[in-house]
Amino acid sequence: MVKTVGIFLLLVAGLFAQDIYEQNCIPCHKTLPTSLQQMFKEYLLVYSGEENVKAGLKHYLRYPSKGISVMSELFIDNYGIKKPTTLSRKELDKAVNIYWEKYKVFGKLK
Amino acid sequence: MTLYVAMVMLMIMLLSLFYYQSQEELMLAEQRASLSKYAYIQTKRLKVLHYFFDERTTYPRDPNFKSAIYDIEFKKIFSLLENEQIHFDKEIYRTGGYIHFVKTLDTYYLGTKYLIIEVKEDTGWKMAVWKHMIGYGALAFLLFMLFGLYLARLFLKPMRDSIMLLDRFIKDTTHELNTPLSSILANIEMMDTRIMAEKNRKKLNRINIAAKTVSTLYKDLTYLTLEQEKANEVEEIVLKPLLENRVEYFDILAKSKNITFVMNLENSTIMADKRKLVRVIDNLISNAIKYNKRGGTIEILLGKRSLVIADSGIGISESDLPYIFDRYMRFNQSEGGFGVGLSIVKKIVDEYGIQLSVESKEGKGTKMVLKW
Repeated sequence: MVKTVGIFLLLVAGLFAQDIYEQNCIPCHKTLPTSLQQMFKEYLLVYSGEENVKAGLKHYLRYPSKGISVMSELFIDNYGIKKPTTLSRKELDKAVNIYWEKYKVFGKLK
Repeated sequence: MTLYVAMVMLMIMLLSLFYYQSQEELMLAEQRASLSKYAYIQTKRLKVLHYFFDERTTYPRDPNFKSAIYDIEFKKIFSLLENEQIHFDKEIYRTGGYIHFVKTLDTYYLGTKYLIIEVKEDTGWKMAVWKHMIGYGALAFLLFMLFGLYLARLFLKPMRDSIMLLDRFIKDTTHELNTPLSSILANIEMMDTRIMAEKNRKKLNRINIAAKTVSTLYKDLTYLTLEQEKANEVEEIVLKPLLENRVEYFDILAKSKNITFVMNLENSTIMADKRKLVRVIDNLISNAIKYNKRGGTIEILLGKRSLVIADSGIGISESDLPYIFDRYMRFNQSEGGFGVGLSIVKKIVDEYGIQLSVESKEGKGTKMVLKW
């Protein structure tokens, strides 16, 4: 009994230790064949700079459509368009910032 | 002449500048082809790196050039450049011994919007251009100078001829004036006025005054045309007897206007050419008489290193004071003369470093102060 309660508490603590990006982005993308890093590079190809990438990304998450997606038509035909985000503006900013920091090119080339 | 030289130099400098710029553009145009090829190669490498990032993180290097990548917000993604001064608005340019070629990418591999290719500048072209500019510039300057000289001679010939004619005329006439004038003055001196009738004495005085006035004018003109070219004969001049002599000379002129001399002369000497100093004193005394009122006074004060000649005459207005030493400048048309006297005075005092100051009040008189 004590062991079960201990495991449950650990699971709950682990859940709360995750940041907003891990809670809201990773679960959905797990099922997709393209990784979040590959998608980040698609955004870089189209938007180039930090401000541009973040703005493009946030706009797509709020108003997803086939016309403005950076992904290929084949990908969209297979996996469709996501639903608009339910995150608040502030939460979305936070999640996108974490995403940018995680995969940005700056400081990684040598 | 100075204006012509300045214009020629300006023109040569402008032409040199255009030549330099055109040569620079020519050199950059030659470089553009190879730099464009390097940029194409580097773009392909970036494309590969983009798709393999972040398994591969080594930026592609090339022995022929250095490069850098910047994003759309001009933030540096990575750079190997030696000179980081980048002009994103230019395609190709020189900067601190390097040539930069800026390529704008359409597909932003790794977020790259601007790819900068850098190569070391070959300064050989610059040396050649400078050599051409100096060589041809000097040749052009010489040709323009010769042409200018030819033109100046051509256009100034009539003017030079008339000046020479006038100069010769003045020299000849002044020379011809000397003999009769000396004869008149010598004969007046020799005449015994004591046995003359009063009426005749007055007439003789008038002749004397007129002759001395012409004589002063003659001496000024000969000084201007002939004597100033003569070599200086500097000697120590004792001023007191010289001043007394000149006052005596002008006494008859002064008496004709009832002007009295008030003299206070100390013993003083000066190193100068006597002929020139006499011109200074004569002109100052002559002016003091000429512009004095009837029955006025002329004060002559000789100090150790100063001479003051002050009159009680018409004075000079404040607005005219700065121009009194200009040649041919006359402020009172009622008196005769060419207006050369004070310009001669100024020229001579400047030559000997004598300080000349003028104090004048209209209607009160003029005070000329010489200090050495």
